[in-house]
Amino acid sequence: MSEVNVPAQPPVLDISDLRVAYGARTVVDGVSFQIRRGEIFGLLGPNGAGKTSTLSAIEGLVAPKSGRLLVDGIDVQEEPLDAKARLGVQLQSSSFQAELTIQQIARLYGGLYGVKLSRAQIGTSMRSIGLEEELGKRFKQLSGGQQQRLALFIATIHNPLLLLLDEPTAGLDPQSRRGLWRRIEELRGEGNSILLTTHSMEEAQAVCDRVAIIDHGALLTIGKPSELIDKHRDDPRVLSVAHGAPTLEDVFIGLTGSEIRD
Amino acid sequence: MTNTCVATVRPPRGLAMGSLLRADSIVMLNSKTSLVLSALLPVVILVVTSFGKAQSRLGGSNLLISLALTLGLLTSCLLGFTLALAHDREIGVLQRLRVTPAPNWMIMTSRLVVQIATNLLASIVVVIVGSIVHGLTLNIGQYLLVITVAILGAAMFLAIGQALVGLVQSTNAVSAIGRLLMIFLLLLGLLGGSGILGDAMQTIADWSPVGALLALFSDVLNLSAWSGQDTYSLLACVGYVVVFAFIGIRWFRWNSR
Ligand SMILES: Nc1ncnc2c1ncn2[C@@H]1O[C@H](COP(=O)(O)OP(=O)(O)OP(=O)(O)O)[C@@H](O)[C@H]1O
Ligand SMILES: [Mg+2]
Repeated sequence: MSEVNVPAQPPVLDISDLRVAYGARTVVDGVSFQIRRGEIFGLLGPNGAGKTSTLSAIEGLVAPKSGRLLVDGIDVQEEPLDAKARLGVQLQSSSFQAELTIQQIARLYGGLYGVKLSRAQIGTSMRSIGLEEELGKRFKQLSGGQQQRLALFIATIHNPLLLLLDEPTAGLDPQSRRGLWRRIEELRGEGNSILLTTHSMEEAQAVCDRVAIIDHGALLTIGKPSELIDKHRDDPRVLSVAHGAPTLEDVFIGLTGSEIRD
Repeated sequence: MTNTCVATVRPPRGLAMGSLLRADSIVMLNSKTSLVLSALLPVVILVVTSFGKAQSRLGGSNLLISLALTLGLLTSCLLGFTLALAHDREIGVLQRLRVTPAPNWMIMTSRLVVQIATNLLASIVVVIVGSIVHGLTLNIGQYLLVITVAILGAAMFLAIGQALVGLVQSTNAVSAIGRLLMIFLLLLGLLGGSGILGDAMQTIADWSPVGALLALFSDVLNLSAWSGQDTYSLLACVGYVVVFAFIGIRWFRWNSR
């Protein structure tokens, strides 16, 4: 897959031969892919496939064993703070200080990303995500969907070049899920790129321009959702699990196997 | 491509540090336990011991005030600070902060600064209450010395706490070990220092964190001439700060897995 025409701007994300290990155990094993500007990219894979670990390496939370990670042409390991300034992050499991109110959390993270927010601005932002009544509440006092909306707001507070969302729609009702899809598309429209992980094939097909399927730390296939279906429709592993015309989910299960992961 | 307004610059350090300090101060003010540990508990001890013959039996008002000061620092740093830090690590607060462009040292420094400032204010309150209920008059110079020693003591116990949280991953273990360590240090400093456990123990106790700090507080309150023992105590405290801060920074684990 060599690109012939040199792009004017570097890819928003350029991962090559990434390896992540916890102790002796390698959980990301030679993953490479790129994300272009304005692209919504989905990282799919069974539980424990290495999705969060891949994101952690981009976020600078774990040091990769080997490989190169460039965010907007900036090496994440050499210039971590410059890379982080370009990233908006929603972690799979994280929290905000339990003693802070929503308003104080917004203030704090605005400051950390260099955005000075007045009380009125925070009020307006919270109204736009339906949390205007919750301004004085603590994070723990919000419902799951409200927490998720706040986390997404914090992740986008500085209008980041690349947004990393780890299972952003897990546990959301259908309305909130659609709301999040809309928001993601709006963000793309504003020039941001998005890397998200999901277990929902419907979601991958609905919002992602391209997806990659990884398992056991290795990248199995990559492309537009429709391309992946075309590419693997004759694979016997896919045919054996398909009921009728193969879907993205059939491709996913065909390539990653049917057994349940822990 | 219309991505003109997309963030590409590193945010100003001052704004980031200011925001962290502000947030950590709010957290501190809202957490009742740390305030109780750092000020209320020592004040209660001072008031209770001011009645009857307790103070002469326990070694005079100087030692009592020193003990109250030391206890306030010890509990709030070794229990309050460590538990809050371990808890925030466990629920992912630290990881969330770490993916922002704020450097790690900034995240930790802010917490430490707020903790030390709290200890400082608490120590001032404790000395004032102590000197009133125990009828002691201190001059400005002594107050300044008490504050200096309090900062040193806070730094020492925070360094020990930082090393504890750095090396021990589970919050429950941090809590259990923190308690045991606190009792151990207190007993070592007090019992060993009293001489009832023999000369060897007394020497160890004099060099122990609590023992050294007690000696410094007590001599500062006493306005006695600077003795050789004070120099040793000072050296011991500074030594503990350096060693444990190094351990706590070098081997600090940011995640709880
Ligand atoms: N901090 C850690 N220490 C040790 N092992 C870890 C750590 N984090 C993850 N792992 C292991 O690495 C492997 C990959 O985990 P990872 O969280 O990247 O998977 P994932 O694809 O995000 O899964 P899920 O869909 O369940 O979120 C798993 O086997 C997991 O047990
Ligand atoms: Mg995950």
